[in-house]
Amino acid sequence: MTRAPSVLAKTFTTPLLLIALLAAIAVLFFLFGSGAQQRFVVEMLIRVVLVVGIWIFVGNSGIISFGHVGFMCLAAYATAWLTIPPMLKQISLRGLPDFLLTNQFPFWPSAFAAALLPAIFALIIGPILMRLAGIAASIATFAMLAVINTVYSNWSSVTGGTSSIVGIPTHTTLWVALGFSAGAIVIAWLYAISRSGLALRAARDEPIAAQASGVNIERERLIAFVLSAFVCGAAGVLYAHFLGIITPDAFFLTATFVALSMLVVGGMYSLSGAVIGVVVISTIIQILRWLERGVPLGDVTVALPNGSQQIAIGAVMIMILLFRPAGLMGNRELRLSFRRGPQPAPDREVRGKPE
Amino acid sequence: MKARRPSAFLCATALVAAGALPAAADDIVIGFAVAQSGFMQAYDEPATQAALIRIDEINAEGGLLGRQLRPVFADTSSDRAEGARAGLEVIEAGADLVVVSCDYDFGAPAALMAESNGKISFFLCAESVRAGIQGVGPHSFSASVLAPVQGATMVEWGHEVMGWNTYYVLLDTWTEYNRGICEGFDYKAPLIEGVEVVGRDTFVNDDASIAAQITRIRNLAEPPDAIMLCSMMPGVVSAIRQIRNAGIEVPILNGSGVDGSYWMDAVPGLSEFYIPVQGSIYGDDPDPAVEEFNQRFAERFGVRPSSQYAYPGYVMIDVWAKAVERAGSTDAAAVVAELEKMEGEPTLFGPRTFTSELHHQNQARYHIVKVDNGTPGVIDSWTISEPIPLDALVR
Repeated sequence: MTRAPSVLAKTFTTPLLLIALLAAIAVLFFLFGSGAQQRFVVEMLIRVVLVVGIWIFVGNSGIISFGHVGFMCLAAYATAWLTIPPMLKQISLRGLPDFLLTNQFPFWPSAFAAALLPAIFALIIGPILMRLAGIAASIATFAMLAVINTVYSNWSSVTGGTSSIVGIPTHTTLWVALGFSAGAIVIAWLYAISRSGLALRAARDEPIAAQASGVNIERERLIAFVLSAFVCGAAGVLYAHFLGIITPDAFFLTATFVALSMLVVGGMYSLSGAVIGVVVISTIIQILRWLERGVPLGDVTVALPNGSQQIAIGAVMIMILLFRPAGLMGNRELRLSFRRGPQPAPDREVRGKPE
Repeated sequence: MKARRPSAFLCATALVAAGALPAAADDIVIGFAVAQSGFMQAYDEPATQAALIRIDEINAEGGLLGRQLRPVFADTSSDRAEGARAGLEVIEAGADLVVVSCDYDFGAPAALMAESNGKISFFLCAESVRAGIQGVGPHSFSASVLAPVQGATMVEWGHEVMGWNTYYVLLDTWTEYNRGICEGFDYKAPLIEGVEVVGRDTFVNDDASIAAQITRIRNLAEPPDAIMLCSMMPGVVSAIRQIRNAGIEVPILNGSGVDGSYWMDAVPGLSEFYIPVQGSIYGDDPDPAVEEFNQRFAERFGVRPSSQYAYPGYVMIDVWAKAVERAGSTDAAAVVAELEKMEGEPTLFGPRTFTSELHHQNQARYHIVKVDNGTPGVIDSWTISEPIPLDALVR
């Protein structure tokens, strides 16, 4: 390439490439995969929305959050309250307010309202959490997850307690999921290149210098926190309308650790890392599940012992942390050329160990 | 480098796409979307094996509608999202009947998938009313008996046969199953003249100590005639042990969830412990055909059934096959209609009834197992006098 690409092209190459990657996978499975295999892609796309949502906060602020799956939980239950047929709600969710008990709302407005709930929740508790930094903030987000889980597991009249809620209409098709993940990537990218995103990354790398330059760290963190709660909420909405059934324990430790390992493996400080981490780990999980089930080789069936999947994911994480401490993508983003032009967003000069 | 990365992932994901199932056109396919790995496997496997025995019997007799039954499997990995996918996988393999996990929460995703594809689904041994029309839809059934029937059976039998009148209710709030047993007890007890609940308490399965609850039992002016314990593995063992260690020797009743002798070493010399079972694994079932089944099971799989929860798998294939035979086709609507006509349909493990309102048993014959000095054995059989009505089941 001899001609310098236009500013617009440079700015939007990464999200377009990422969306194209996901779209290519979706189309490939749509054309050649069975229904069951397409569900694997849908599941992966839901995780893309979740992990990109987590990245908006974690990637830009440098604070690892264990609580974002809790936002997924809030939104999944909210969309269930809005979209389950009234007849079913009157049996299992009697404690709901009247307007929810007697009405059933259409998917799109419900989805938006449901994703808004965790954002509002984040806006309320964010000012308290965002005053903390480093490990204290991480522990506080973990506490938030535990609180959400405990409340939703025990508030039986509204959430059905630990038992499943069923009857959520299934709207999450391959294309809906692809649309949501494209939307999540665009939102994340727009935030990353915004003034607030830049200020937050500055605060992540050099908090004192950033503050001295007039960055209000708490405010910028709060913006990222609320936005990421919204996107994680969208993942919860997708999940609920994908399975048609939700329980509080689907949004707890296992989901949190899988999502975080995807983010770490891909590269915490890069949006491309978040997306590619999901694709890589989802694929590994799927291959291992397949191997656990047994693969026929001639007359014998070779199968890995049950539980290999968890061990292998752990091993992959250790390898990544050993050899690529900043994740597969490091701090770089997917781009078309190797030219070292000025990088539009997330800055690459973080060479030291990420905190 | 970077630009090539995506193609590497596509190759890797394409690898996953390799396992499709071949289908012989004429067979009737039964799809098992059950856990073959993960913690649910322990519950799903015995019932699946029992189902396979019935499938083999039918095939040996010449098949169903002149066609052979062919089981296909998809592993749920004890994961809900995988469960839905496993359901779809067996449907795509041509399943006319989708068999799903034992537990309602883990079986429901696959059952919902069957429902949305217009296929019949059967929970292997779920005992919640929601494993059926109320929680999945009109094509869904459960092969076991509702948990409330177990609690109701124990109190009615206890009063009528043993003459127990005062009960202390101790509920482990951990699962819906536990709550179900006590709900059945609480529905039935007020209907029986002379039965009185002298106290009630709750605990949670993983509580290290139930000393406070035990103190309240000991502080009663008169010890109760029996303790209705609504609990399950693993916490129930510790609860029983603590009650006995505290010197409380009154009879303890529970649901079927603690059937099996594998845990009894933990409470040496356990006596006066009673549970209801659909069939006996101890070699003393009043019906010799049940013991014959146990032996066939042992021959084929190397071990005897470890609890009564293997039996519903056999019943499931049995009633479904009869319905297909009567309908003359595997068409879901026709088979559901035939299943709903079953009233007291005899099976190896007692009569079964399905109606257009309830695809589950709200009344069933139970054998009563008594554990005496660490040895369990059947001492009686009981069927509750009235079925538990639907509005008492659906809260």
